[in-house]
Amino acid sequence: MPGTFSRSLAAIATATLMTGAAAAQDWPTGPVHVIVGFPAGSSPDTIARLIAEPLAERLGQPVVVENKPGAGGVIGVQQMLAGRAGHTFGATINGPLTTSPRLVPDVSYNVAEDIAPVALVATSPLVLAVAADAEADDLEGFLELARGGDLAYGSVGQGSGAHLTAELFANAAGIEMLHVPFQSYAEVTTSIMGREIDAGFMAPSAAMPQVEAGQMKMLGVTSTEPFPQVPDVPVMAGTAGLPEDFRAELWNAFIAPAATDPAVIDRLNTEINEILEDPQVQERLLSMGWQAAPGTTEELAARIADDTEVWGAVIDQIEAN
Amino acid sequence: MTMWDGLLSGLSVALQPAVLIYSLFGVFLGTLVGVLPGIGAMAAISLLLPLTYYISAEAALVMLAGVYYGAQYGGAVASILLRLPGTPQSAITTLDGYPMARQGRAGIALFTAMVSSFAGSILGIIVLVVLAGWLAGLATRFGAAEYAAMMVLGLVAASTVGSGRPAKSMAMVVLGLILGCVGTDVNSGAQRFTFGQTQLMDGINLVALAMGLFGVAEVIGNIRSADSHGRPRRIGLRELVPSRADLRQMPGPILRGTALGSFFGALPGTGSTISSFLSYALERRVSRRPERFGQGAVEGVAGPESANNAASITAFVPTLTLGIPGDPIMALMLGALVIHGIQPGPMMLDARPEMFWGLVISFGIGNLFLLILNLPLIGMWVSILRIPFRWLYPAIIVFVCLGVYSVRGATFDIVMVAGIGAIGYLLTLAKFSPALLLLGFVLGPMIETNLRRALLISRGDPMVFLERPIACGFVLVTAALILMAVVKALRHTRQPA
Repeated sequence: MPGTFSRSLAAIATATLMTGAAAAQDWPTGPVHVIVGFPAGSSPDTIARLIAEPLAERLGQPVVVENKPGAGGVIGVQQMLAGRAGHTFGATINGPLTTSPRLVPDVSYNVAEDIAPVALVATSPLVLAVAADAEADDLEGFLELARGGDLAYGSVGQGSGAHLTAELFANAAGIEMLHVPFQSYAEVTTSIMGREIDAGFMAPSAAMPQVEAGQMKMLGVTSTEPFPQVPDVPVMAGTAGLPEDFRAELWNAFIAPAATDPAVIDRLNTEINEILEDPQVQERLLSMGWQAAPGTTEELAARIADDTEVWGAVIDQIEAN
Repeated sequence: MTMWDGLLSGLSVALQPAVLIYSLFGVFLGTLVGVLPGIGAMAAISLLLPLTYYISAEAALVMLAGVYYGAQYGGAVASILLRLPGTPQSAITTLDGYPMARQGRAGIALFTAMVSSFAGSILGIIVLVVLAGWLAGLATRFGAAEYAAMMVLGLVAASTVGSGRPAKSMAMVVLGLILGCVGTDVNSGAQRFTFGQTQLMDGINLVALAMGLFGVAEVIGNIRSADSHGRPRRIGLRELVPSRADLRQMPGPILRGTALGSFFGALPGTGSTISSFLSYALERRVSRRPERFGQGAVEGVAGPESANNAASITAFVPTLTLGIPGDPIMALMLGALVIHGIQPGPMMLDARPEMFWGLVISFGIGNLFLLILNLPLIGMWVSILRIPFRWLYPAIIVFVCLGVYSVRGATFDIVMVAGIGAIGYLLTLAKFSPALLLLGFVLGPMIETNLRRALLISRGDPMVFLERPIACGFVLVTAALILMAVVKALRHTRQPA
């Protein structure tokens, strides 16, 4: 009796949809918690708070940002998964969703199975920064130098965005550079200015103050379009022999435990996208070096999958060497 | 704009009533969180950060800075009275401050700490105003080789901090170095001694270690002897005033402590904990009667307390003039500025001179507030000792747990502090110095990271430590110190024969 079966299936589906819709309408029934895997005052924290404030108004419930820093954001995601689905969400950078499961032993979650993407919030490219009195004035000059001698570059740690981007770049350009890991952009900056190392891929906002003071220069940006905060810095893709699709971006996103009601995730996605349309919010993000990037949950899911693959290949390469 | 124009424009900012009130609030809160064991400036500033969205950038920074240097004042209080460092920076103050309190000189110890803190801060401000440009340049002149060589010197110089037998001192330093290895290795990304705990990936929490070794261990120790403690009687203002002999001993340590603190504060990554340890070691070394240290020497309080305050002032140099925060708290303050659309960096002095100078002047005003606030409070602080232990110690444990949790919101750290406390108690029983363990823990990772980084950059050539003049200087001084120690030891062994 296939007819009866499909009819009852349809009935179950309708019932589920209805309870789902009803639950989503009542949602949220209490304070909403947003777990951030980075300390107060860090850029993921500031971005989460920037969204949390208007979000609380729209939801009519307090939105509490909680900092659970550690292990490059992994602890934040783990803490989110330990919370009550439906009222606990996470704000994270790309690392814990893409590269951490490869690089960090003892990650207790599986991104595909345990985490539901909610919304992409903002993206940031990296810039290739060198000392102001460095011999190279553009990307081609830099590559020439790199082929001639052994250049050293700094990153903010093994497996960090800055490290993987530099390796992706070196690979695409066919050069080899010595990797020197540091713990913060602050250390990388002083090391470049002291001419201890030659270069570093840095967040534009981390490099800007020194560039404005004439102590560093930026040779290229890793986004496919010029970045509004540093509009004069040339795009790397397609120049100096780099492929047209060369792109490396960091991003910030909202996520939820996989058990969260899909209707709740849709609602949150809509609200966040609307918040991101506010020119004031966009301006605040840009002043911190981030570009608002509204989108669907599917687009975020695709970005996670794509980045996991791209960076996974880079990690394979590093491990093979 | 000359310095004087700058100072004038700064005055117009710092003397605004709103800014003054936020400064007062900041230093008051700073003192309070400094006094409470475990709860430090980091937690208070994190909590205040969302508030700063709603006030002017000047008021916000003045308030947060007030919390930061105010905590340095408060930190000494519990160190002296209860042997519980309010902050890791004041852990070293327990060594002589607590014996002073046990000798009935708690008021004088507190007075010394307050006055040294004030003098260190004010001298630090003068150093900052006069030498800001030179200090800013230090950050870029110090590469990995310089840091590694300097930290080795620090370790060698400070390993005399403990008063026990040399073998016991060495054991504690080495244990500290080992504990410092826990976590992700910066160079390779490998996990060391984390035993599958993601919470250990960033290393053992410094606050948990300091609070466990000193705070919890002290509480456990007192359970045994709680009743035998004589309760201090109420102390009048007159008993706070040090004798002439006490006063004469203060200027030297304060000046040396300020010099050390100003230097280390201006270097990103080092800072107040290290400078207070080194100041203590220096005082012990230059003292004609080093055996008094650990028994309640005024210099052992004056030096470190001036050093950590001076460091907390000059720490603003790299943050504001280079946009390079020296420690996590400075990074937090940088974040507060960025929220207000101000990007600290080399351009700040030109672009926002009133902001920079306003802050500098607010330091002076804030420290004056602190002195006025704290001197009359000494009597009140001392009366804490009159609280029966059965009330005081449970309260302390609660504050320690709160404080340790507030660092990064991890219950794991509370379990850690309990475990470390138990170990700390055993160490005290066996007369090992926990201060040396802390020293190894703080310096070890810096030595290792910078040593390996220097060798990585030099492509494995160890000559880098001798070719770079500053690094070479540190290596030579270290060698001289070791040589002196060996000569001294040889003489000692020859005498009995």
